[in-house]
Amino acid sequence: MAQPMSGKPVTINVNGHDRVIDAPPDSMLLYALRDNLGLRGPKFGCGLSECGACTVIINGNAVHSCITPLSMAEGQKIVTLEGLGTKEHPGKLQQAFIDEQAAQCGYCIGGMIMTAQALLEQNPHPTRDEIKQALDGNLCRCGTHMRIIRAVERAANGAGEK
Amino acid sequence: MNEISSTLGRRGLFKLSGGLVVAFSLFNPADVLAANAKAAAGRPIPGGVPPDAGELSAWLAVHPDNTVTLYTGKVDVGTGAETALAQIAAEELYFPIDRLNVVMGTTSVTVNQGPSYGSRTIRYAGPQIRHAAAAGKAALFELAAKHFKVAAGELSVENGIISVKGARARSISYGKLVDGKKLNIEIGASGKSFDMVVAPQAQLKDPATYTVVGTSVKRKDIPAKMTAEYTYIQDLKVPGMLHGRVVRPYGVGATLLSVDETGLKEIPGFVQVVRRDNFLGVVAETEWGAIQAAQMLGSVLAPQSPTAGQAKWSDWNGLPEQDKIWDTVRAAPGQDVEVSRNGDVDAVLKTAAKTFKATFQTPFQMHGSIGPSCAVVDVKDDRCIIYSGTQMPHEARHVTAKLLGIPADRVELIWYGAPGAYGRNGLDHAIADAAIMSQAVGRPVRVQWMRWDEHGWEPKGPAIVQDLEGAVDADGKVVAWRHHMWLPTSMDTRLIAAALIGKPDVVGSVGMGTPAITYAYQFPNTDVADHAEGKVALLTASLRSPAQFETTYAMEAFIDEMAAETGQDPLDFRLKHLNDPRAIAVLQAAAKLYGWEKRPARGQRPPAGSGPVTGRGMAWVNRDDARVATIADVTVDPSSGQIQVKRVVVAHDCGLVINPDGLKNQIEGNIIQSISRTLHEEVTFDRAHVTSRDWFGYPILRFSEVPDSIEIVFVNNTPEYPSYGGGEPATCPTAAVISNAVFDAIGVRLRQTPFRPERVKALIA
Repeated sequence: MAQPMSGKPVTINVNGHDRVIDAPPDSMLLYALRDNLGLRGPKFGCGLSECGACTVIINGNAVHSCITPLSMAEGQKIVTLEGLGTKEHPGKLQQAFIDEQAAQCGYCIGGMIMTAQALLEQNPHPTRDEIKQALDGNLCRCGTHMRIIRAVERAANGAGEK
Repeated sequence: MNEISSTLGRRGLFKLSGGLVVAFSLFNPADVLAANAKAAAGRPIPGGVPPDAGELSAWLAVHPDNTVTLYTGKVDVGTGAETALAQIAAEELYFPIDRLNVVMGTTSVTVNQGPSYGSRTIRYAGPQIRHAAAAGKAALFELAAKHFKVAAGELSVENGIISVKGARARSISYGKLVDGKKLNIEIGASGKSFDMVVAPQAQLKDPATYTVVGTSVKRKDIPAKMTAEYTYIQDLKVPGMLHGRVVRPYGVGATLLSVDETGLKEIPGFVQVVRRDNFLGVVAETEWGAIQAAQMLGSVLAPQSPTAGQAKWSDWNGLPEQDKIWDTVRAAPGQDVEVSRNGDVDAVLKTAAKTFKATFQTPFQMHGSIGPSCAVVDVKDDRCIIYSGTQMPHEARHVTAKLLGIPADRVELIWYGAPGAYGRNGLDHAIADAAIMSQAVGRPVRVQWMRWDEHGWEPKGPAIVQDLEGAVDADGKVVAWRHHMWLPTSMDTRLIAAALIGKPDVVGSVGMGTPAITYAYQFPNTDVADHAEGKVALLTASLRSPAQFETTYAMEAFIDEMAAETGQDPLDFRLKHLNDPRAIAVLQAAAKLYGWEKRPARGQRPPAGSGPVTGRGMAWVNRDDARVATIADVTVDPSSGQIQVKRVVVAHDCGLVINPDGLKNQIEGNIIQSISRTLHEEVTFDRAHVTSRDWFGYPILRFSEVPDSIEIVFVNNTPEYPSYGGGEPATCPTAAVISNAVFDAIGVRLRQTPFRPERVKALIA
């Protein structure tokens, strides 16, 4: 590559590891995660903080990475979908989504799981209405909502634990 | 990283061994495709033509580690088709489904079984795969008979292990059996696409003995999708790849006057502007760089004028006025297509006891994929590799060849999963954008549309207007029925990029709006006609249940009006005009599950100051032979005009169900998406361009609005009834169901979608 992307690399902590990102500090975190680090959990959906497909957890809060400047993420603890588990060892919420077959195309689901993860960390036993409220900013076009709600309830009730 | 040469190499090995045998173990399909992509990037010539459907190796490969790969030209963009097709193959092969992997869509290794649209995958590709798998099982039995020196009839099979009957020690797995042997088998194939017949002589398993088909096998793709290990086309990175973004005209038909490149070179990673006639794009080493460059040229959510960005466009205002769009649709030239004509409707209308008249108007709607369209294309002088999630990979290969002027046998499409498309959305157009940019820069280019490109430029479902008239006699029977539809095309297959480079007709064509409707009602006098039109206003393409979502709304809302105005129960009223046993069966099954009590619709205006009122509605459809009846409860808040769908009951007959939970997932999706289309969705546009360019301008249903329950019952789910499609029929009844339930609740008829609160409130007042 001809030129460095920025004068001053930014260090962020992603899924427990410090990572040095060579990208403009005013670029958005989403592209650092996807393009610099090769992560796939956060997706580009709108770039406008309208759909939630890019959701990651920063210091315990669900955040839309598409409008979060990289500079604001400096030194923060970021968790992406990759940080919750793998196919061989899925996290509790991931397992609950698998058990409920809570996906059609699945493109929005990373954002759903991260939003629900933040909810459950703050409110381990939410009501159905609280789940709907927490997920209301996440859009699903396939219409998988009923299963997504059931998956979050399953994880919250412990039924998703292996 | 798994090292395999390439799809061409793999195909070459098939050729060498000539049949079932391959010389290496395949892994999971995602690994294979990832390895393909890696290999393809470096190779000079892509993998030529698709395999011959008449050869077993075109469909199946058995590997030494006792895994099987099924190759299919069908693709899965979230419908569960991958798993369902694997079930069909595993069943006939007597092979464990968890050891059977599926490679979809890649044009050099799959047969063209037609596009994956129109609820046609299970119905048409299912039997093709079933027959190929049955022929494969027979071939394996012949091999085993030779191996054990017994007659094939002496053998039995379980889970891919063949044994000599009565001598269980004499067993061998499929993988061991074919290991190192050559087996060249012609299974025979004739016809093309949906109508292709494969291995007609194959002996099929007795459906009464099915153990895999008809069970809710967990979807193969879901675990990787839950853990970010699945590679969507948006996730693909090819060595040497650049990032492209399009800069679309301000007005749809505007001319590019000038491009001021000031400041672009200062953007880190910027490579170049790609300009061909009115096609404008930017290419950069980084995605962020491409986004910044496109923004400077004018790619933003809400552009202020044709000259507000550094790219200057002519002032084009050729779109019709949105608030008169249905007049425009009526006035558009077309040709009349007769659907049904019996007796003399006009004569009966003059003399009948009670006559009815209504007009239904429905707007442009969009597919609205959550993931904007994306493709990676690598064009070199004399060849092209396309990486895409298109629903029609084999067609896209030919289309791209024509667009670029490269022979089709030097174009390959390597297929990756895509976000839900629900019809032909922007995926094929993104291929063309990436191809033009790659051709210009000589490197692979990844194009992903911005949200406003997707909302603004994806092909839409058309605006439609329908007039209905009818009459009921003194005995309460329908004696006349007129239904005239003005249907612009859903089949404009031309490409945006082709139009922008000044070659609008180099690929594709403009179809005519087809009468998407099936009448099962028995009316003595009918006049049902479609005024079939080409393009009206905006570019269109198939959107889930093209036009039949709209025609079902009109038909089933109108018959409900007739029942209500003559004081009849809406279920009884429908049943007494039907003699199709499968239509009757779904209506009765839905009524039973719902707990339907006979009564006419209430249809009373709520008293002033009333709180939310509940109503019930029903409707049904025959969509390409699948019958679906839906009943729902809705509440309407008269003070706000807000409609909430509370309970939905669906009776669904698409014949034999391959994967019950997978189909339920699809039906739930159809219901929620069609509630969204009914309550919220309308594309807006001014004279220059689409103005609903994000999720605020084009809202869709949110979690707070989903029903409390969706209950589903299958009808005729037995092997005597061959499988029809399930991907879209359940969309069709919803607008009529909600409209009819709103009438039951508050006594107003909603004859225009979407049913937004202000529209409902205005009707109550």
